Amino acid sequence: MATMTREKPRAGGFSSPERPRRIAAEQIAVAAAQLAAGAGNLAFAMVAARLLPPGDFARLSAFLALWLLLHLPAGSLSAGAAVRPGLASSSAGPALRLGLAGAAGAAAAAAPLSRALGLPVPLMLALAASVPGAALLALRRGALYGSGRYRGLVSSMAMEPAVRLTLGIPLAWLFGVEGAVAGVVAGGYAALAIAHRAGRTLRVTPPPDIGSRGPDSIPRAAPAVAAFLLLALVQNQDVVLANRLLGRPEAGLFAAVSTLGGIAAFATSTVPLVLLRRALLADRRALVAGLAVAAGLGSGVLAVTAAVPDRLAGGLLGDRYAGAGALAGRYVLAMSLLGIARVLAAWRAGTGRSRTAVAVLVAAAALQAGLILGLGRDAAAVANATLASTSAAVLALAGAEAARIPSVRRGATRALARLRSRPHMAAVAAVTLAALGLRLVFTRGLWLDEAISVAAVKLSFGEMIGAIRAGDVHPPLHAAVLWATARALGTGELAVRIPSVVAGTLLVPVLFAAGRELYDRRTGFVAAVLGAAAPLAVWYSQEARMYAMFMLFATISVWMLVRALRRGRPADWLLYAVAVAALLWTHYFAVLLVAVQQVAVALALRRPGEGSGRRRLALGWVLAVAVLAASLWPLAGIVSDQWATYQDRGAGLQPVPAQAGAEVAGVQGRPSIYGALANGVWALWGYHSDEAMVRLVALWPLGMLGALLLLGRRGSRETKFLVAGTLVPMVVLFLLGLGKRDLFELRYAIAAVPLGALLCARAVTGIRSRTLQAGAAVVLVASLLVALTDQQLNRSNPRLYDFKGALGEVKERARPGDVIVYAPLYLEPVVSYYAPGVPASSLSAGLPGPDEGKRVFLVGSFLDRKETAAAVGTAEADLRQQRQLLDRVRRPQVQVWVFE
Amino acid sequence: MSEPDPRLAPPGWSAAPERWRASLRRIRILGPFNLALAAWYFGWLLHPDRIGHPVLYAALVAAELFNLVQAAGFWWTCAHQRARPPSTPLPGAPVDVDVFVPVYDEPVDVVEATVAGAARMTAARVRLHVLDDGGNPEVEELAVRHGAAYVRRTVRAGAKAGNLNHALARTSAPFVAVFDCDHVPDPDFLERTLGHFVLGRTAFVQTPQYYANARATDVAGAAWAQQALFFGPIARGKDGLEAMICCGTNVVFRREALQEAGGFPEGSLTEDFELSLRLHERGWTSAYLPEVLARGLGPEDMASYAGQQSRWARGCISAIPKVLRARLPWRVRLQYLLSGMFFLTGWTFLVYMSLPVIRLLTGAQPLAGASADQFLLHFAPYYAGALMAVAVAGGGSYTFAAFALTAATFWVQVRAGVVAVLRRPGRFVVTPKRGSGKGDLSTAAPALAVIAVLVLAAAWGLLQDRSAATLNNVAFAALHVALLSAGARPALRRARPARAREVEQERTAA
Repeated sequence: MATMTREKPRAGGFSSPERPRRIAAEQIAVAAAQLAAGAGNLAFAMVAARLLPPGDFARLSAFLALWLLLHLPAGSLSAGAAVRPGLASSSAGPALRLGLAGAAGAAAAAAPLSRALGLPVPLMLALAASVPGAALLALRRGALYGSGRYRGLVSSMAMEPAVRLTLGIPLAWLFGVEGAVAGVVAGGYAALAIAHRAGRTLRVTPPPDIGSRGPDSIPRAAPAVAAFLLLALVQNQDVVLANRLLGRPEAGLFAAVSTLGGIAAFATSTVPLVLLRRALLADRRALVAGLAVAAGLGSGVLAVTAAVPDRLAGGLLGDRYAGAGALAGRYVLAMSLLGIARVLAAWRAGTGRSRTAVAVLVAAAALQAGLILGLGRDAAAVANATLASTSAAVLALAGAEAARIPSVRRGATRALARLRSRPHMAAVAAVTLAALGLRLVFTRGLWLDEAISVAAVKLSFGEMIGAIRAGDVHPPLHAAVLWATARALGTGELAVRIPSVVAGTLLVPVLFAAGRELYDRRTGFVAAVLGAAAPLAVWYSQEARMYAMFMLFATISVWMLVRALRRGRPADWLLYAVAVAALLWTHYFAVLLVAVQQVAVALALRRPGEGSGRRRLALGWVLAVAVLAASLWPLAGIVSDQWATYQDRGAGLQPVPAQAGAEVAGVQGRPSIYGALANGVWALWGYHSDEAMVRLVALWPLGMLGALLLLGRRGSRETKFLVAGTLVPMVVLFLLGLGKRDLFELRYAIAAVPLGALLCARAVTGIRSRTLQAGAAVVLVASLLVALTDQQLNRSNPRLYDFKGALGEVKERARPGDVIVYAPLYLEPVVSYYAPGVPASSLSAGLPGPDEGKRVFLVGSFLDRKETAAAVGTAEADLRQQRQLLDRVRRPQVQVWVFE
Repeated sequence: MSEPDPRLAPPGWSAAPERWRASLRRIRILGPFNLALAAWYFGWLLHPDRIGHPVLYAALVAAELFNLVQAAGFWWTCAHQRARPPSTPLPGAPVDVDVFVPVYDEPVDVVEATVAGAARMTAARVRLHVLDDGGNPEVEELAVRHGAAYVRRTVRAGAKAGNLNHALARTSAPFVAVFDCDHVPDPDFLERTLGHFVLGRTAFVQTPQYYANARATDVAGAAWAQQALFFGPIARGKDGLEAMICCGTNVVFRREALQEAGGFPEGSLTEDFELSLRLHERGWTSAYLPEVLARGLGPEDMASYAGQQSRWARGCISAIPKVLRARLPWRVRLQYLLSGMFFLTGWTFLVYMSLPVIRLLTGAQPLAGASADQFLLHFAPYYAGALMAVAVAGGGSYTFAAFALTAATFWVQVRAGVVAVLRRPGRFVVTPKRGSGKGDLSTAAPALAVIAVLVLAAAWGLLQDRSAATLNNVAFAALHVALLSAGARPALRRARPARAREVEQERTAA
């Protein structure tokens, strides 16, 4: 460090303590310059696109890609120089010599490289000419970062697009692509010159605090370089691997996705370098500012991508890549997370703790490569792998950093001690994990309603809400959550079900809390176990619809109401109001449960007690109603529009069947008493084959025994409340169903599942003998697990529609020119989900003519409905006359006839 | 250390709880509603298209109609509840009251608490008489110790009624109080009851027969749950209809009325029931004071319970013809009929338990032209309404265990019905005041036999086929098996309190 001399701190130096605003401002300023430079380079490319013939522009684009490839790893040198600004001077000579050697080599190999890459030799020579400058520019800029000379840094950044635009464009006009390339190379060297000039007078000294500790206390540059190289690897290896593993269209699609993700990576690239300098002082405010700026920039890019994915992809990359929009959200999220990982890695490098960062990043890179190599069957899978690895990296780095914060460590120690002293909490956590596992294994393909939801979230947010107002019958909360999830994670099966998985898993600890509040801890625990294993809770946690959220919010509302009635604190009433608002924004029929809750409140208000207690209760309730009214006000407009649409289309001319399967559920289109019983059985033991249900329901005399067993059990207010909350919605829906069959659906009263679990738990813990109690719990849970296994694995489950299997087979077999004809009409969303790209039309639009389509896949479902069965039967007969039946695929509730 | 006598502790039950008026309001709404549900069910059941196997159908309809009458009677009774307040003392000087404590062969310590309690009664000039049909010198000694007259018959005819009549002839007070030897009266018993005789035609004032040992054994608990329903809403309702019957203990009579009725009927196993009938027939009225003023002991084991039920069943069923012949207001006559006929309930259990067995073994079934879900649609609301009425009226006092005990001893009522029809004479058996502490297989044997038949029939049916119809009947069989098992279970195990008493005795002896 001979070049380092002491220098009076100057503007941008370490005149600490500095205000946090200033720390953030320098981050924002540099990031803005970076974005401006990016915009300038984009402007250069756009002008060049209009100026150059298409072939030349393609060559220019390829050259720019190679240019980027050259500068990206070199960027890691910036990190080293930012940690040790003197490195820029001390390493300049070796870097120059190495660069010249590299340039000579590249120039010598220009001819063969030209042939291999399909680029003209002059362009390859220009690339060779830029090699020495790449490393030097990175070192010089790094030194500017490390010394806080942002003015020079910003000038250097601005110089590059400025030269490209002022020199490159005229040269391109005069000499074509070669002129444009010359402008690019000149821009790079001009930027180097500015950076060199800005750092010329730099006699870098470590920050005062660091300097006083001696040069040995300054972190070494190599780990920082290594960390940033690894980050570059994570950022880029997916493109390389995708190109190697995927077919051309899919690799192209991923390249487009990667380009969109690159915006987020580019936007956040300066943040860690600015941070490095302040990291030397271990100024945590700088870390916070860096994280905030990186997160803000990433979120901004993510928001834009999520709002108009297809338009963004189409606008930037051409209509050919408009489809990349579907994957853009999750990849931009991955790159935004990478930006945060860079900040955390920079912080650790600056504070001399790079080893962990390097280890984490090595693991993340390995995870990413492993996932792509193992599971990377398409662009979505590769994007998921990158998202998984960047998420893991952020979690690990953030966890490691958080562990160093004394308050966090103290908190963690306290939490661990609490956990040790309360083993039930660990048990609840274990049950919750088990519940998550149950919800993730033995899943199924998307069902029709899910496919409709997925189709809706592909629209922009405004369009989706408009569609919900105009044609849906449900409130929009779940759709909004799904929309955001799809933007972040895409529309894969697992991705669209994540909100439900999360809600269904959270239901378990919430059941514990509710059971503990209503009765006692033991009841809460049994309820949590029952909720974890309840077949219907699992089923709807695996469905990309609103029912898992319905169960969760319903349980929270019950829990909060009981708290509010017992304690009367405004905070409890407020939480209750929020839970009810979420519930009603999730499903309209939740109003039945809310009505029961209001009756409970009214009864509580009537109960004799102290005047002040009652007054407090009344005031709390008024507060809750006020909050509720305010939060539901926007929903009124949606309800009004939906009701008008509902009336216009004949009050319930349902395009999609509400009820599927279950012969026991209705007689001649009306709900029967056996149907009501079947719903009761489903609520506890889940969906099973019609045959099994008919037999199970025939066991109703055991219900008489159950009723007799209740004799003499007076039941607490809490139990009566739960019973009413479980039964009233079901009875009301049953009565409504007598007039309009499709309203009698268990899922519309799905709160019965968690409330039923609470009641069952109470029934178990109400047994006096501990032995019998344990026995009853074991028998109940065992019966639930058996029922769950049957529900999930039995292919005769009437709620199982294997569109995935049937249409997946169609998709696999389909060749260009083949067509799908499906019936009934409402299969469209599921057909387009599972067989995208295969031309498909509804049977109602007619059959293809004898000369139309090489092969015809006739897809029929809902064949238990007479009209559909008749239409499909007729179509099959007609096709048999025109074509030869090659195959018939039978999947649960879906059939495919293959004609040629 | 010996166990404290539960009869000396305050009662854990009220015959007129605070919320009885609320329960009355509810039952007045439920009653008509349940009648509508009954009409819905019977309208469907009695349709000619429903006739399957004619005999089975007739049996089912008879059982269902019987239960409907009982249920409707229950709703009607409960809808007329009233709760008299404790009376003010009779005006003027304290009246003379002869207090009778009939004893047969009960343990002396059981009798002593009763005699001691009776001796402490206030608000009247009490002449206490211990009527010992057992001729036990220890009883005589304790009578002397408590200042009571000791009365022993030389000819012990007419069982308890004869014993009481014997004492009645030797005493003269205008009022007569009777306590079974295990029922310990409160000191204010007479103070709370005598005022109700202000009305000139009141023949007797009955108070609840509270079982203080309800927690001693499962049988005692279940028996008490049955009693609680009777001495709660039913007795309050009977009082409201001015048809309260005498229950043989914890009761005060007007001597004039007793004499007019010819004393206690000695030819009956339920002398109290027949005495009430005679009094009402002669224009006397009765009163029920819903306040626990004496605490007694209920049957602690199955054998004791079966013996008690057998006596009550035979006595009440035998009295039905007399009720039919008696000149009574219609509502009073109906109340007596309802009480008397209640003991035929065992026959309906027999019918219900037979039907699934016959269906599973032979395929014959009572109903035709209807699917199980149609039956359920019509039956379930009626059944649920009936159970709800019991729950609401009883305020939770009537339990599953009480119902199961009735089911498991159905044979007692069946046998009583047969014996009554055959007019075979019965013997008055005093209900044992303490459980044997041993299992009682013989009392449980009929229930166990029926359980075996039901299980075998279900197994046979399942071997034949596992259709929904078969499963439906298997479920009915399972329902009965569960009921009978729950009811018979106490007979098969040793009662813990009794065993504890034995251990204590062994220690004392050692």
